[in-house]
Amino acid sequence: MNRGNRVLLSCVYWAFVLYVFVPLILMVLVSFKDSKFIGFPIRSWTFEWYTGVFADAQVLSTFGYSVVIAVLSTAISVVVGTWIAVLLEGRRFWGRAVIFGLTVLPALVPGIISAIAFRIYARGLGIEPGMGAIVWAHAVHNVPFVVLVVMARLSTLPKSQIEAARDLGADPLIAFLRITLPYLVPAILGASIFCLLLSFDDFVRSFFLGGYEPTLPVLIFAKLRSGMSPEINAIATVALILTAVVGIWAERFTRRLKKETEG
Amino acid sequence: MTVQDPLVRIQGISKSFGAAVALENLDLDIARGEFVTFLGPSGCGKSTTLRILGGFQQPDRGRILLDGEDVTRLPPEKRHVNMVFQDYALFPHMTVRQNIGFGLELQGLDRASIKRRADEIMSFLELQPFAERYPAQLSGGQRQRVALARALAPDPALLLLDEPLGALDAKLRGQVQQELKSIQRRTSKTFFFVTHDQEEALTMSDRIIVMNHGRVEQDGTPEELYFHPATRFVAEFIGETNLLTGKVRGVDSDAVVMDWFGQTLRGHAPAGAPRAGDAITASIRLERLGFHAQRPDTPNALQARVVGKTFLGSRMAVDLEVAEAEGARLKAYVDTDLGQSVGEAPVWIGWDTDSMAVLRD
Repeated sequence: MNRGNRVLLSCVYWAFVLYVFVPLILMVLVSFKDSKFIGFPIRSWTFEWYTGVFADAQVLSTFGYSVVIAVLSTAISVVVGTWIAVLLEGRRFWGRAVIFGLTVLPALVPGIISAIAFRIYARGLGIEPGMGAIVWAHAVHNVPFVVLVVMARLSTLPKSQIEAARDLGADPLIAFLRITLPYLVPAILGASIFCLLLSFDDFVRSFFLGGYEPTLPVLIFAKLRSGMSPEINAIATVALILTAVVGIWAERFTRRLKKETEG
Repeated sequence: MTVQDPLVRIQGISKSFGAAVALENLDLDIARGEFVTFLGPSGCGKSTTLRILGGFQQPDRGRILLDGEDVTRLPPEKRHVNMVFQDYALFPHMTVRQNIGFGLELQGLDRASIKRRADEIMSFLELQPFAERYPAQLSGGQRQRVALARALAPDPALLLLDEPLGALDAKLRGQVQQELKSIQRRTSKTFFFVTHDQEEALTMSDRIIVMNHGRVEQDGTPEELYFHPATRFVAEFIGETNLLTGKVRGVDSDAVVMDWFGQTLRGHAPAGAPRAGDAITASIRLERLGFHAQRPDTPNALQARVVGKTFLGSRMAVDLEVAEAEGARLKAYVDTDLGQSVGEAPVWIGWDTDSMAVLRD
């Protein structure tokens, strides 16, 4: 690569970094501003907004509610998604393409459409809006990501691994539990983190299927209607830090796992 | 070859994949404690046979008897047979000890017995220093030994080896061949080895079965196969050889007399001796041609001229043109000293009846 190209490339790169991070940095800065008005310059600093957030029972319970929904929906999508991936990968049977297509469809349908569809369907079935409905919608939406990630990993599992396990006395179930599943752990873990974050972040489905209790994004939305305040910046900053920590930890953990077993 | 009380009896096994025939009516007995090698080019049916023995594939027809018991329809986990895979197939998330203990655990052994047996096999194969390592932390040769240890640990009646040396570099391979042979002797287990490498087969086996197009070409000891190949395929596949195509003049009690470029030659007769007038091919190994200053009193003797030499280190390859026979050429290996001393003058070439194998087809 010649010099001009290199300079251009690094310019584009840094422009991108600024584009991604500047809004986040501004958001974090404003959350420490000792004034109700969002904007610059910042003349004095305060932790008041944070103490307010941590003292606000509604914010805390909403946060807990979102976490519970994320964990439950992730657990369901991981089990269902892994199951489907194992059934689909490396086999040929009639209708496989159709099943695969239907499996990944929920990831492609626009959120607003699937949310409305779920709402109508839930009413038809007599399912009350609330946690059950949200968990259900999040799980369906997340299954395709689990399927794709787990299938990709599964396709790299040498066939001889399972044959070796069978050869040494394992029936198909034991071979799956002792060999296939451990091999899938990094993929399942990665997919889980992704699902957790997707669910935690979701607004549209939670909004349409929720009952009286809001999830965190829905609460933020409700608070925004009564006007912007640095309190919202503080909530967002806490959420940002938590998701970043979870994401980075998961990344490091899977990397270590891979290093240990694959050299 | 029929064997008294064989460990494995393969009866009329056939297997096709779509239109491709992998095995055609294979019959075979394998004796206890034998080191048997299945040798052949890729697609000859050797791996299919191995996989059928392991239980990974079902034959279309025929039966497999193991110790007199029909195991044809048994899944791999129900057979007293273990396999060393071509890629070793070590479990990456288990240590060497856990890999070796896997089969023992599934046999239902208690912890103490598993540990004892794993230690025993690890010290036997000198794997103790690596017991707590993961496969990714081992060299190719060490992995190969772990794969062997894992397959031997449950004490199988029959050990299947699917080209387990293919991934090793040439130098290590020679060493591992010796090791493998010695392990087989010390355990007196029946080894069923599959390879396309004829040198490997000759080095290690008690018995070699040469396969081609899903059929057995020849079944015998390495020496038999090397010096008395039954077919052109075997003669060419194993080692280097001179193929002499001629016509049968007549058949003696123990030899076929043939005409080759007007020369009369005598060769070792195959089973089902040919008749006079048949077109025929004979095989004579390069190192079996003896050089003489005068006409030797061997049954076969020709005068020839050296037309080319290739230095190979301890020996030389010499190209010969037979005198008074236009187009008759032979190749021979001679000691380097002798090879360097021969010049333009014609030499005498001689060999025994037994050194030249008349081929079946």
